Amino acid sequence: MIELRDVAYAYPDTDHYVLDGVDLSVARGEVVGVVGASGVGKTTLAKIIAGFIPSVEGGTLAGSVSVDDVQISSLPLAEAVAQVGLVIQNPFNQISGAKFSVREEIAFGLENTGVPRDQMISRVADVAKLLRIDHLLDRSPYALSGGQMQLVAIASVIVMGTPVLVMDEPTSQLDPGGSRMVFDVISALTDAGTSVLIFEHKMELLREHADRIAVLAEGRIVYEDNPRTVLTDDRLESWSVGSTRYTRAARAARDEGLTAPDAALPVSLSDSTVYFTTQRTGR
Amino acid sequence: MSTSHTPVEANKVRNRVFVAIGAVVIIATYLYLILGQPSEFAEGDFGQASLIAIIGYLLGSVLIAAGTIHRLPTTTIALVPVAIAVNIVVGQIAASLGLPIYLDSIGTILVGVLAGPAAGALTGALTNVIWGMTISPIALPFAVTAVVIGVLAGYAGRLGMFRRFYLAPIAGLITGIVAALVSSPIAAFIFGGATGGGNGAIVAAFRAVGNSLLASTTFQGLLSDPLDKVITFTIVVIILYALPSRFRSRFPFVREYNVFGKQSEHAAPTRAPRRAAGGSDSPASTTGDDSRSSDSGTTPTS
Amino acid sequence: MTTTLYEDRESAVHRLNPVTKLVAMLSIIIIVFAVQIWWVALGIVVFVVMPAAVISGTGGRLLSLSLKLLLPILIVLVLLQGLFFPEGTTVLAEFGPARVTVEGLMFALGIGSRIAALVLCSLVLLLTTDPALLMTSLTQKGMSPKMSYVISSTLQIIPAFQTRAQSILLAQQARGLRLKGNPLRRVAAVLPLVSPLVLGMFTDVEERSTAMEARGFSSPATHTSFVVVEDPLGQKIARWALAAIALASVVLSLLGVFK
Repeated sequence: MIELRDVAYAYPDTDHYVLDGVDLSVARGEVVGVVGASGVGKTTLAKIIAGFIPSVEGGTLAGSVSVDDVQISSLPLAEAVAQVGLVIQNPFNQISGAKFSVREEIAFGLENTGVPRDQMISRVADVAKLLRIDHLLDRSPYALSGGQMQLVAIASVIVMGTPVLVMDEPTSQLDPGGSRMVFDVISALTDAGTSVLIFEHKMELLREHADRIAVLAEGRIVYEDNPRTVLTDDRLESWSVGSTRYTRAARAARDEGLTAPDAALPVSLSDSTVYFTTQRTGR
Repeated sequence: MSTSHTPVEANKVRNRVFVAIGAVVIIATYLYLILGQPSEFAEGDFGQASLIAIIGYLLGSVLIAAGTIHRLPTTTIALVPVAIAVNIVVGQIAASLGLPIYLDSIGTILVGVLAGPAAGALTGALTNVIWGMTISPIALPFAVTAVVIGVLAGYAGRLGMFRRFYLAPIAGLITGIVAALVSSPIAAFIFGGATGGGNGAIVAAFRAVGNSLLASTTFQGLLSDPLDKVITFTIVVIILYALPSRFRSRFPFVREYNVFGKQSEHAAPTRAPRRAAGGSDSPASTTGDDSRSSDSGTTPTS
Repeated sequence: MTTTLYEDRESAVHRLNPVTKLVAMLSIIIIVFAVQIWWVALGIVVFVVMPAAVISGTGGRLLSLSLKLLLPILIVLVLLQGLFFPEGTTVLAEFGPARVTVEGLMFALGIGSRIAALVLCSLVLLLTTDPALLMTSLTQKGMSPKMSYVISSTLQIIPAFQTRAQSILLAQQARGLRLKGNPLRRVAAVLPLVSPLVLGMFTDVEERSTAMEARGFSSPATHTSFVVVEDPLGQKIARWALAAIALASVVLSLLGVFK
C-alpha cells in the first residue's frame, strides 16, 4: 500500500539531509506507528508521504514514495490528497472555519472535490456514525472540546475516502480522554481497509493499536517490529525514544537485580503483574 | 491539449478583465469626483456626485474582489481571514483606547507585502465588508480606500521598499496621502463630512474659513491618514523582520520580487554515503529542487 | 458561533432567500441615492424598512443600533452642515464663525436621509440574515466558494482573536504597560500588543493552509453544495424587478430628471 524506499530529504536552502535512506512499508488495513525523538523529522516524513513535500514546501527529495504503486511526489497536490489523507496535531487549525455546523464541516472536503449532494449526505452520516459523533452534528465546530474537535477533523479527512491515512501526532494536544477517543477510531478505520500510518509519542496507546512500530532515528528507520518486541528493546533510550511505564519500571527492577536478567520485559499492566510476580529474584 | 480556451484559461481571462474593469471604474469615479468639480451647493449636482461615488466605488470594489480571489494560492487564502481578524481586533482596540490613529490596516499591509497587490486588495475590501457586517455598516462605502491601501502595500513590497527599515515608513507616507485623497470624496459626497465627532470638528474648522466641502474633508484626511499609515507601515516592517525568514520565504511573491533582500545562497545538497552499492542515489525523483519552482500555483485556477 | 448582528428568529423576512434581501438592500440604497429627494428616502425608511423590521421582530434592536451607530453621525452632520455652510445665504443665527443657514440645514437633511436609509437598510439585512445561509446562497448564485470560505472563517475566528488580544493586553499591563496618558505614549504601547498577536498567527496560517489542502481546497473540480437554500420563482422575479427599478432610477438620475 504505502512503500518508501531510500527516501532522503533536505530542507530548502540547506545542504544537510535530515532524512537519509528511509525504508518503510505499510500494507492494506495495517496500522504502523512511527516513533522517534522530537525534531528527528517525523512531521517532515508525514508531509512527504502526504504529498506536501516537495510541492508546497520545496526542498530536495530523493528516493521513492509510492502509494498503490503511484509515485506521490510526481502528483500535483490536489491528486496526492485524494490518495493520502493527513491529520495534524492542532485540532483548532484543522477546522476550516468556513462552516457553521459539524455536519457541514465534515462535508467541506466533499464540496471542494465536487461530490454529488446525495452522496455527500450519506457519506457524512456514515462517517459520523463510524466515529460516534452523530450527536455533535448540529453543533458549531468551535463549541467542542479538543478531543471532539480532533474527531471532527479526522472525520472530515476520512470522509474523502483515501486508501491511506497519515496522522501526525494527532493526540499531542489532547487530554487522556481525547487521546483514547482518537485511538479507538483507528481500529474502526483499518477494519474498513484503510492503511494508517501514525506518528506518535504515546507508547501505551501504540502498543494497544499498532500492528507494527518503526523507530525513526539518525535520518532513517533503524528498527521495526511488532510493538512488544520494539517497546522492550534496550536500544530505545539511545534513540531518545521512550517506552511504556511498565517496561521502564521492569527494566529498572531488572537493572537493580530485583528480577531475572533474561526474562522478557512487560509492556502493559497485565504483563507487568505477571512479570513482577513470577520473575522476582527474591533479593 | 492545444485549444487555448479551456475552462480554466477562460476563467483566467475573465478574472483579469474583472480586475481591469474594476480598476478603471474606480479611477474613473475618482477622477469624475475630483476633476468634474460637481458643484456642492447645487443640490442636484451634489446628489449626482454621491450617486456616482457610491455606485462606482461599490462596483469597482466588487469587481476587483471577484477577480483577484481566484489567482491566490491556498497559502495566501489561509492568511487572509487571519489578517482581516487582526485588522478588526486591533482597530477596535485602538478606537477603545481613544488613539488618534485608526490602526485598522495592519493585516491588509502585511498581506500586501507578503502576497502581492491582488491579495492586499482582497484583504482590504473584505475587511470593510466584515467590519460592516459585525460592527457598523458605515464602514462599507470606504472599502475602496482599503483596497487602495492593500494594492499600494503590495507594490511597495514589490519595489523593494521593505528591504530597508527606513524605506517602509516612506511607503507608508505615500500610502497615507493617497488613502486620504481617495477617501475624501466618500466622506464629502456620501457622508457630508460627518464620519465621526472628531473628524467632523476638523472639517468644520476648515469649512469655517470658507473651503469647499471636498477640500475640507481632504485636509482632514491629510491630517490623519498619513500619520496612521506611517505608523502602521513601521509596525509591519518591524514585525516582518522579527519573523523567522522561513515563514516569509514560504510566499512565492516574497521570493519572486525579493521583498526582503537577498537570502543566502547554498550549494546544492549532497548526500552522505549511506550504504555500499545498492544504487541508492536516485536524483531522478528530486522534484522541486529548491523552493523557487515548486511552491506557488498549486491552485490550478490561478 | 458568529459575530454578526444576526438574531435567530422566525418571520417572513427571515425566511426570504438571503440573496433576495441583499438585492433589496442594494436596490433601495441605489434608488435613494439616485432619486436624491429627501422625503423619498425618508418615505422608503418609513414605509419599507420599518415595516420589515416590525414584521421580523427586530424593531427593538434596530432602534438601539440606530441610536448607537446612526444618531451620532446625524448629529455631527446637522451641526457641521447647519453651522458651517459658507455657501449658505439665508442666515438664521450667528455664533461667531458659526452661521446657522437654511441651505446648510437642507443640505444636512438631504445627506442625512440618505445615510439613514443606507444604515437602516443594511441593519435590517444583517439582523434577519444568517451569515451561513447568506454565503451558501451567494455561492449557489455563482460567488466563488473561496470568497465564502474567507468571509465565514473570518467571522468565526474573530472571537478567538479578541480573546487572545485581551489576554496579551492583560499580560503586558501586568508587566507595566500603561494605557493611559498622552496619545504618543498610548501609540507606543501598541507595538507590544500587536507584535505577539501577529507573530503568533503565522504558524497557525501554515497549519490551516495544510489542513485546507488536505480537504481538497485547491481541487480543480466544480464545487458542489451540501446545503441548498430555497429560491422560489416569485423571489427571483422580485429581484429582477428591483434591479430594473434601481437601474432605471440611475439612468433617470444621470439624465438629470431629479435635479
